[in-house]
Amino acid sequence: MMLAVDSIQILLLIAVAPLLRGIVSRVKARIQNRRGASVFRPYADLWKLFRKEALVPPTASFLFRACPVVLFAATVAAAAFVPVLRSSSLLGNTGDFVLLVYLLALARFFLVLGAMDGGSSFGGMGASREALVSTLAEAPLLLGLIAIAIVSHSASIASMTQWTIARMPFELSPVHAFAFVAFAMVIIAETGRVPVDNPTTHLELTMIHEAMVLEYSGPSLALIEWAGAIKLTLMFSMLIALFVPWGIAANLSFFGILIAVVAFLLKMAVLIVLLAALESGVAKLRMYLVPEYLGVACALSVLAVVFTAFAR
Amino acid sequence: MGLIEFAAAKTLASSAVFLFITVLLIAATKRTVACIALFSAQCGIITAQIVAVAFLRHSGEAFAVAIIVLLVKVVAIPYVLLRIANRLKLSPNVTAATTPAQSAFIGAGLILLAFAVVQPYARAFALDSEMLAAATAIVLTGGLLMVSRRMALMQVIGLLVLENGIFLLAMSTTFGMPLVIEMGVFFDLLIWVLLMGVFIFRIRETFAHVDVSRLRRLRG
Amino acid sequence: MTLWVPLLLPLLGAFLLLAFKSYRVVVRTALAIGVVEVLLLGNCAWKVHADGVLRQGRYLRADGLTLLFLLNLALIFVVVLAYSAGYLRHIPKGRFSSPRWYYALLFLFLFTMIAAYLAANLGMLWIAIEATTLASALLVGFYNTKGAVEAGWKYLMVCTVGIAFAMFGTIALYLAAVRGGIPADAALDWTALMSSAPSMAGARDLVKLAFVFVVVGYGTKIGFVPMHSWLPDAHAEAPAPISAMLSAALLNCAMYALLRWNAITARAVGVGFSHTLLLTFGALSLLVAAFLMIVQRNLKRLLAYSSIEHMGIVALGVGIGGPLGLFGAFLHAFNHSLAKTLLFFTTGRIRDTFATLRMDRIRGMGRAIPFTSAALIVGGVAIVGLPPFGLFVSEFAILMAAFTGSHYLLAGLMLIAFSIGFGALLYHFQRMLTGEPKAPHTVSKLPASEVAAICLCSACLLILGLRVPLAFVSVIHGAMAVLQ
Repeated sequence: MMLAVDSIQILLLIAVAPLLRGIVSRVKARIQNRRGASVFRPYADLWKLFRKEALVPPTASFLFRACPVVLFAATVAAAAFVPVLRSSSLLGNTGDFVLLVYLLALARFFLVLGAMDGGSSFGGMGASREALVSTLAEAPLLLGLIAIAIVSHSASIASMTQWTIARMPFELSPVHAFAFVAFAMVIIAETGRVPVDNPTTHLELTMIHEAMVLEYSGPSLALIEWAGAIKLTLMFSMLIALFVPWGIAANLSFFGILIAVVAFLLKMAVLIVLLAALESGVAKLRMYLVPEYLGVACALSVLAVVFTAFAR
Repeated sequence: MGLIEFAAAKTLASSAVFLFITVLLIAATKRTVACIALFSAQCGIITAQIVAVAFLRHSGEAFAVAIIVLLVKVVAIPYVLLRIANRLKLSPNVTAATTPAQSAFIGAGLILLAFAVVQPYARAFALDSEMLAAATAIVLTGGLLMVSRRMALMQVIGLLVLENGIFLLAMSTTFGMPLVIEMGVFFDLLIWVLLMGVFIFRIRETFAHVDVSRLRRLRG
Repeated sequence: MTLWVPLLLPLLGAFLLLAFKSYRVVVRTALAIGVVEVLLLGNCAWKVHADGVLRQGRYLRADGLTLLFLLNLALIFVVVLAYSAGYLRHIPKGRFSSPRWYYALLFLFLFTMIAAYLAANLGMLWIAIEATTLASALLVGFYNTKGAVEAGWKYLMVCTVGIAFAMFGTIALYLAAVRGGIPADAALDWTALMSSAPSMAGARDLVKLAFVFVVVGYGTKIGFVPMHSWLPDAHAEAPAPISAMLSAALLNCAMYALLRWNAITARAVGVGFSHTLLLTFGALSLLVAAFLMIVQRNLKRLLAYSSIEHMGIVALGVGIGGPLGLFGAFLHAFNHSLAKTLLFFTTGRIRDTFATLRMDRIRGMGRAIPFTSAALIVGGVAIVGLPPFGLFVSEFAILMAAFTGSHYLLAGLMLIAFSIGFGALLYHFQRMLTGEPKAPHTVSKLPASEVAAICLCSACLLILGLRVPLAFVSVIHGAMAVLQ
């Protein structure tokens, strides 16, 4: 029974991911006074891409076709870590947060490899920029997770969630507050959103992620887009699970699961609106300011770790 | 009124955390308007604290102080600062001696320093060390702003943040001084901001810039 | 009533003066209000002398210490008002730089200082001292030149930071008082604190911390080294009568605040701590200022450093303590204000004649403007502490107190500093007074008001030097009694 629920959890994440992206775009359009495309447009895009032919540059090696697959697989594996409906997940109790972070890093590494393998100058440029951003974003991500791990005396995301649920709501500790802000800043960098990277641009000056996937087409591009959407969903779910997990089902009753689903959707909705408002309100940072932005996130996460020494 | 008292106690307990975040962000921010907004937010958090204290101690004086802080520090002073910033028509960026990331780390260092300094006093007087540390960190950040920023308006904001910290120290240790004194202090602060505005414009008229590191004619 | 009217009259007068436009009406109204104000202050002083302590409401109080300083303020204000009447023809036009703004700000400045003297409550004292900074900032930047604006900016910034420290000290003392059992709404009240000070001995660390912050804070306004950076700039760039007000009245006002605090701290934690702090700052200010006086090039900056030096001497007098030391300190504060006012009054005419205040460009003053040169000589002799003027008596008293209290090192330092100061002033003044007047210079007519003001200052200095009037001695003793 537990296995079934956990499997449903991960399938839910994978299936709902494109819808999430669609909703973000729609809300953003509404905020900007446009009508916006339908929220199911990403599904239509994926359907279209899967039926098209994949074109491969003549200079590319086997890596070019393998990388999107590895990327997708690693992202799905990472999604298995995150508790959504229950305070455990498919891999939640076996793997720890370091494995999670490095699964995401593996995914990113292969994306960068594939981009460079494509042979175009845009690919190389996007790859180098992405390498910079991801290197700098890894430290705050890890440190924030370490801080929460220290405080909750455990290394797996699932037990961290259980620990947070056991505490009172509104019990705001400095560790959690700093880690939350650092995490939020890192999520924006990791998922390639404004103000770090614009997911809808194709200007040479401003592309990071888009530059890397410029050479891909057909099913490969579909896998990459889907992996990106899953990454956004999984990072938001991790944010919710680590910091505001109340509502998650404690036991396996039908009622509990129902409440968990509703709570999850509500929190996601809030995060989506906040993201859309942020993307509409803030201008994208120039490239040389991104390290500064991530440096501030790093300072916050360092403080989070140091504050664990004062935790009561 | 159990719920309100619960909420008040929770507000008091958690506001120190928010204040730490504002301290870091004020140190790291790169835009003048963001700095003014963060100062206003900081004063807003302090107002919430005063209201919580008023509820917990059933003190009407504290309510009056909260309203004055709201009007003067959250609304009036940031409004004056924004008007000055707009009329000066300067670049929206803060020219600092350090980059935002470095400033964020210095801010983090100041917070830790504040904690270290405050421990003996918190133990000796049985006070909440988190709130004392937040107040000290705000004072130190105000000093950092005054020292490392070159534009005259940023020095003004730095001193306002410093006064914020001192006021918070007063509030967290003594739960407020007599109402008349508080009113006089805030009135002085408001007049000071207005005078500084006059002087910033005069500096601009006579020197054609507002970079205080270049005001070095009088020496020795 | 006796306390409210002299307090509020300058405030109302300031607003009244802003309403007028004509220069002559403004000057005459200002003179009239000034005369009335001085009479009211005299009345207040008389009442205090007769009754001892006057209280009105919760926030106004006048005792022996207030009496002495109010007399000082009244005298300085009279001469400054007289001098300003003739001085104002020089003022250039500007948004805040017209005669009516000058007088309005001057009266506002007076209001804030009287409020500081009449404050019954340490919190009100703080508010008033901060208000003096605010009121005088526009006066410092009055000429609107580059130097004046920079000086005004520095003055506002440095003094406000200092006063913020003093605020922290006030809060710390409030906490100590509340912990010591004094009821919360009277915990900053002077009488309550003085009577219950021994009960704060339980929180002695906190009281000591409070005093340190207050010395740094109010010391910034007094001009103690190393917080003195604003003083030479502000006193040099302000108009001459305002420099006189700053040096003579404002520094004394800040010293008054420090004296009140010193008394409370001494009662709470014993005399040693506060006196050590005052001696340190006083000696430091004395020596640094004396040395810096040698290398000055601007006459008013020279006089400003001399003010720092003399405030150091006053602090030394209070720090050494004892009846003789305290008497000398009070007398010195009074004498210094008169001598410094006299000297600043001469600078106005010097600048008018030679178009500069740089001492290496001024030559032959003795021949060009004989009356002003005589005034400068009188002021110079007075300020270095030579007989027959008043500063000799006060400095001698402080030195005697140092020797009898076995502070030999301090006495030695004081003598060295006096000699250095004497040498510096002699060197600078002698160069200015002798030789051939350098062209171009214009000699304008000397207004009678200026002559009267200078003669009044010199006369007072002479009287205080030859024989301190008994009535004045009793006033000083009354002030000393308040602080014991």
